[in-house]
Amino acid sequence: MLELLPALNDHNLPWMDTLHPIVVHFVIAMAVVAVLFDLVGSLGRRPGLFEVGFWNLLVATLAIFVAIIVGQVEAGLAEPYGASREILNLHSTLGWSLAGVLAVLTGWRYVIRSRDPARLPLAFLGAGGLLVLLVAVQVSLGNQLIWIYGLHTVPVVEAIRAGLV
Amino acid sequence: MDPGRFAGLPIEQWAGSLGPNGLPYALPIHPNLVHFTIGLFVVAIVFDLAGALYPLEKRLFRFLQLPVTRAGLHDVGWFNLLACAAVSFFTVASGFYELLLAQPISGVVSSIGLGSAATMVWHGVGGVGILLVIVAMAIWRGVQRFSWRRELGRQVQWSYLVVGLLMFVVVGVHGTLGAELAAEFGVHITADQLLAAGLDLREALP
Repeated sequence: MLELLPALNDHNLPWMDTLHPIVVHFVIAMAVVAVLFDLVGSLGRRPGLFEVGFWNLLVATLAIFVAIIVGQVEAGLAEPYGASREILNLHSTLGWSLAGVLAVLTGWRYVIRSRDPARLPLAFLGAGGLLVLLVAVQVSLGNQLIWIYGLHTVPVVEAIRAGLV
Repeated sequence: MDPGRFAGLPIEQWAGSLGPNGLPYALPIHPNLVHFTIGLFVVAIVFDLAGALYPLEKRLFRFLQLPVTRAGLHDVGWFNLLACAAVSFFTVASGFYELLLAQPISGVVSSIGLGSAATMVWHGVGGVGILLVIVAMAIWRGVQRFSWRRELGRQVQWSYLVVGLLMFVVVGVHGTLGAELAAEFGVHITADQLLAAGLDLREALP
C-alpha cells in the first residue's frame, strides 16, 4: 500500500513547498483584522465596519479547517527532533482548539448580526481580544518550528536523512 | 556568531550582536507581516469579485440563510485593500532590513534553477514593485468607490478585478521566491545556519 503514496522531495513533502504557512495567511490576517475592524467600528462609532469584521471572521473560520488538514499532513512528515517535538505537539493542540474558538465566536457573531448588525456587545470585543492573544501564541509556536528548527527545510531534511539529527 | 564569516563586509560591524540566524532577534519579522499583505489582498479581491457577481450568487446566500448585502461585500473589498496597502510598507521595510542581513547557504541552486543572488534580487525588487501596484490599486479602488461608480451597485470595474486576479499569479511566484530563500537557502533559519557552520544539531539545538 505504501508504494501507492507519492514520492517525497528534498523538503520531505509530496508537493513543492510547505502549504500550511500559505493557508494560515487567511487565518492569521483575517482573525486579527476582524477584531481590529470591530474595535475601530466600536471606538469610532462606525457600525459599517462591523460587517467587515464579520466577513473576515467567517473567512478565518473556514480557512482554519483547511489549515489544520494541510498542517496535519505536513506535521506527520515533519520528523521533529529535540525540543521541536514538544513545540509541534503544542502547536497541533492549540490549532485544533483555535478551530473550536473561531467556530464558536463566528456562531455567536452570526446571532448578534442577525438581531442588530449595527450593535456589538462589549463582551464580544473582549472575546476578540482573547482570540488575538491565542493567535499570537499559535503564530509564535509555528514560527519556532520553521525559523529555529527549520522543519521541512532542505538542509534539515538532508541532515535527518543522513542520520545526523 | 563567528565574526570571521563577515570579514570585509559592512555586516562585520554588527557581527557581535547577531544571533546564529543572522538577526538581532530569534524570529524574523517580514514573513509574519507577509501573512497580512497576502491575506488582506486576496480576500479584498475575492470579496469585490463576490460583490460584482452578486446577482448570480444571491440565491445561494438566501439558501444558506446568510443575510448579505452587495454594499457589505464591497466594503470588505475596500477596507481590506486599504489595510493591505498600509501594512505592506512595513512588510517591505522589514523585508529589506532582513534581506540586508541575509546569509544564504553558498552553492545552493533553488528548485526553479536560481542561485541565491538572483533569488534575493528578484524578491527584493519584486517586493517594491508589488507594493507600488497595491498602493496604485488602493487609489484606483478608492476613486471607483467614491467617484466613478458611487451611484452603482457594482462598485468595481471588471478591469480592476482582472488586474487583481493577475496579481494573484505574480504574488504566488514572488512568495515562492521568498519561501525558497528560507527553506532552500536557509536564510535566517537557526538550524540551517548551524548545519551550514558544520555544527551537530544534537548538541547545538537540543
